[in-house]
Amino acid sequence: MRILRFLLISFLCIIFKAQTLFADEAKMSKGLEIFNETAGCAACHVLKAAGSEGNIGPNLDTVEGLNYDTVMDIVTHGLGVMPAFGEDEILTKEEIDIVSFYVSNSVSK
Amino acid sequence: MSKNKTKLNLNRRNFLTGTATLAGIAATASVVPISIANANHSEGKKGLPNFINWKNRDALIVHSDKGIETHRSAIGESLITPNSNIYIRNNMPTMTDKQIGDRKKWKVSIEGVKNPKTFTLAELQKLGHATMATILQCSGNGRGFFKHKPRGSQWKTGAAACVFWTGVPMKTVVDACGGISGDAVFMTSAGVDHEPTGLDPKKAMIERSVPKKVYKDAMLAWEMNGVPLPNAHGGPLRMVTPGYFGINNVKHLGKVAFTSSESSVKYMKKSYRISPIGKKGSQYPSCWEMPVKSWITRPTDETGKVKAGKVQIVGVAMGGTKKVRSVKVSVDGGSSWKRAKFIGPDLGKYAWRQFVLETTLSAGTYNIASLASNGSDRQPELRMENRRGYAHNGWKDHSVNITVV
Repeated sequence: MRILRFLLISFLCIIFKAQTLFADEAKMSKGLEIFNETAGCAACHVLKAAGSEGNIGPNLDTVEGLNYDTVMDIVTHGLGVMPAFGEDEILTKEEIDIVSFYVSNSVSK
Repeated sequence: MSKNKTKLNLNRRNFLTGTATLAGIAATASVVPISIANANHSEGKKGLPNFINWKNRDALIVHSDKGIETHRSAIGESLITPNSNIYIRNNMPTMTDKQIGDRKKWKVSIEGVKNPKTFTLAELQKLGHATMATILQCSGNGRGFFKHKPRGSQWKTGAAACVFWTGVPMKTVVDACGGISGDAVFMTSAGVDHEPTGLDPKKAMIERSVPKKVYKDAMLAWEMNGVPLPNAHGGPLRMVTPGYFGINNVKHLGKVAFTSSESSVKYMKKSYRISPIGKKGSQYPSCWEMPVKSWITRPTDETGKVKAGKVQIVGVAMGGTKKVRSVKVSVDGGSSWKRAKFIGPDLGKYAWRQFVLETTLSAGTYNIASLASNGSDRQPELRMENRRGYAHNGWKDHSVNITVV
């Protein structure tokens, strides 16, 4: 009985992990699309992982502390010449979540 | 994780060129080629972007390739901050030599005067010649101490420098144009560093208005600490507004106008406003006059443990738009204070003064603070909480903890 329970839990864990990995991969792929296309972040920023070479804003690979919360805050509210993608409804909340996930997992990689 | 790259659409910068609707609009043709946009961002050999690869890497903290701070211990050993140690904070990409062209032919127009004129740099250099020392300080210097983590570079003390500028006094230029005309209230300076980007000037142009009176002490500067003004610091010509935060010292200067109203660009109306946390808007004060401020530069937590005995506590102090009058130093977190001694030459009210307090410390830990006064105002103990972390001059956050052995 114990063995069965162990196997069942292990199976569920593997399924959950696999789902998370697939979900993360899909999110990264969608994030790249938003970064390079929908939002056009690439036109203003360097991000090696995205192959972008814009030079209006900072090189994202050099910016310290770019975690998810920081990126989402800046994308939502803007900074300097950077538009407020959230406040001005240029991107949806879901798109901001996805591109923030993408950038924070892509910097310096 | 997938690293497949989608095709870059460089025309998507239409959000900034002023031609975008919210979705689906055809890409604008006004976007500049990428060869201009990425002209100078690549990283040089020392871990600094190549446009400032001539700077002293050991003196600098890199927050990003456009936000680079001077180490606390790299300020204050000499009264003037060497160019190689001076911080970088650029809102627009630094203009390249190619974009600038022949520096002597650089043009600046003067408007809102009785006889509006356009001067080349060569003509300005014939018009007048003066040198003065001022403090260049980013409005957000000290942002790194705010607990609510405002957006932007997390500067502590090093977005500041004391600089010798050489150029022509703005008053001389105004006199050459027959004086200020009409009912001007502001002096409005505009840079041209947004032009190569092709961005909408309303969103990207660095145009800053300051009260008209500032012109009396202002300068159009072409030299910085004895060398031609580096491109990274706004060369070949920048406005210097003594006692006012760095953003008002407009780089790559293309126009100065005496105006009856403030500039309407984003960098004047929306940015650089000192608003309460959670609020924003042009009704709040602009980052103009710098407040009285000081900080210890040695010993600090950067300089390691201190040997017990006689200790020289060294720092810099500024009065803002007034002369700094006194500095007190505490080694017990502000419970007691001793008056420090000013050293070095006095370069005028817009420069900072170095100070020193010689004291004897036995083994232990100490919190060292400095408190400056300009006769009218003195540093508060605490920071003025505000949304973007501007104008921090509270002494407590700027104190340092040291260990004496």
